[in-house]
Amino acid sequence: MAPSVERSFTAASTIEEAMAARRQGAAVLAGGTWMMRDPRRGVDLPEALVALHRIPALSKVEIAPDHVVIGAAVSHAVLGRALHGAVGFEGLVAAAENAANPGIRRVATVGGNLCALDFAAADLPPALLVCEATVELETFEGPKLIGISDFLKDRHALLAEAIVTRIHLRRDLVASAHIRLPLRKAGDYPVAIVSLAVDKDKRCRIAVGSVEPVARRWTALEQAMAADSASAFDPERAAGLALEHNDFQGRDGKEAEGWYRRQVLAPLVKRGVAALLKTGGLA
Amino acid sequence: MTVIFQLNGEDCRFDGDPMTPLVDILRQERFLTGTKAVCREGFCGACTVHVDDEAVPSCLKPIGLVQGCAVTTIEGLSSGNQALHPLQANFEAADAVQCGMCFPGMVMSLSAFVRDNPHAGRAEIKAAMVGNICRCTGYERIVDAVADWLDQARMAGQVVRGIHV
Repeated sequence: MAPSVERSFTAASTIEEAMAARRQGAAVLAGGTWMMRDPRRGVDLPEALVALHRIPALSKVEIAPDHVVIGAAVSHAVLGRALHGAVGFEGLVAAAENAANPGIRRVATVGGNLCALDFAAADLPPALLVCEATVELETFEGPKLIGISDFLKDRHALLAEAIVTRIHLRRDLVASAHIRLPLRKAGDYPVAIVSLAVDKDKRCRIAVGSVEPVARRWTALEQAMAADSASAFDPERAAGLALEHNDFQGRDGKEAEGWYRRQVLAPLVKRGVAALLKTGGLA
Repeated sequence: MTVIFQLNGEDCRFDGDPMTPLVDILRQERFLTGTKAVCREGFCGACTVHVDDEAVPSCLKPIGLVQGCAVTTIEGLSSGNQALHPLQANFEAADAVQCGMCFPGMVMSLSAFVRDNPHAGRAEIKAAMVGNICRCTGYERIVDAVADWLDQARMAGQVVRGIHV
């Protein structure tokens, strides 16, 4: 066991209490599955922490006819169960139910997954990108809403003065899918992730995770598929367009080199479109 | 920081760093060495315990998050003087245990799983074991033992409201 350390630890019971601790410089502790490995990465644990798990408002999933609100402290397992069977959220459910392993999924939270800055292989960001989620932050100036794309791009600066509190989703999807490629069947970080969704106007949204350091929408492919409307429902054709419009710079990592991550995207798009066609909304 | 929690049904107090992994307190302060610290990254499952009835990796659980929780380790499932937990008994009967390093974690993961999923088939059992690595690779015999036990429990009519663990 490590030598005794004087560390400040606040288990906040309200968002206000959590923000007060943040103002004093406390780092946010979610489920702990990423932060607890900091020492193995050569990073010291923070000297002051504030935990969010005792804040009731951040620990629930609210499902309304036209929208869903997910608390930042909701675990992957709870998210998967809450949205299971909800039309349009098949991809998000698959992301929540297949990330890491069952023990981690019971602990790791939605907020933690979005805020782990160095975790390129996180499953939820691409799934939430195709949902066009809105991230709710509590800042020192009050609550703030920001689109998930902008949040992911700017989160390093945003999180210096804010806590992620909730994720808001519209229920405007008819189908979605989440395709991940680990080197083994389970338990590994995925080499590449492709999330796809089809909205009520039959427009296809596509996002990619784990290939670049931060997940992002694949707008070049979305535009190509919009111009060739049949491709959204033809796996081979979609894969052909994916090959043609691959504008990713693969990151080198322990699991795979960058060129490989980039190379597997077209086959994953093919699998993704095939999975979309099997969902209730498109079948 | 002082953390108060229940450990195998008894009150337990810890004074120290709130970011100390639960597994270290179990093994080094409480001498409950059935919980194994192996990968310390949440990949291997050897350190799995129940926290408020959920099977979680204790290597990634900072003790500060355990305040007020009920923790059960492999030692808490059955003491040496009691009958084994039915899953343990079935593993013994099926001779499923090899080196034993992964087994406390396997039992903790699977005992919670069968409690919540009494009608699970082999595919679900395998999916539940994804986070428990056996380097002796004795997986099939473990799956057999769990499936057999669920079959027996179903035949005995014990699964109307789930299996008690």
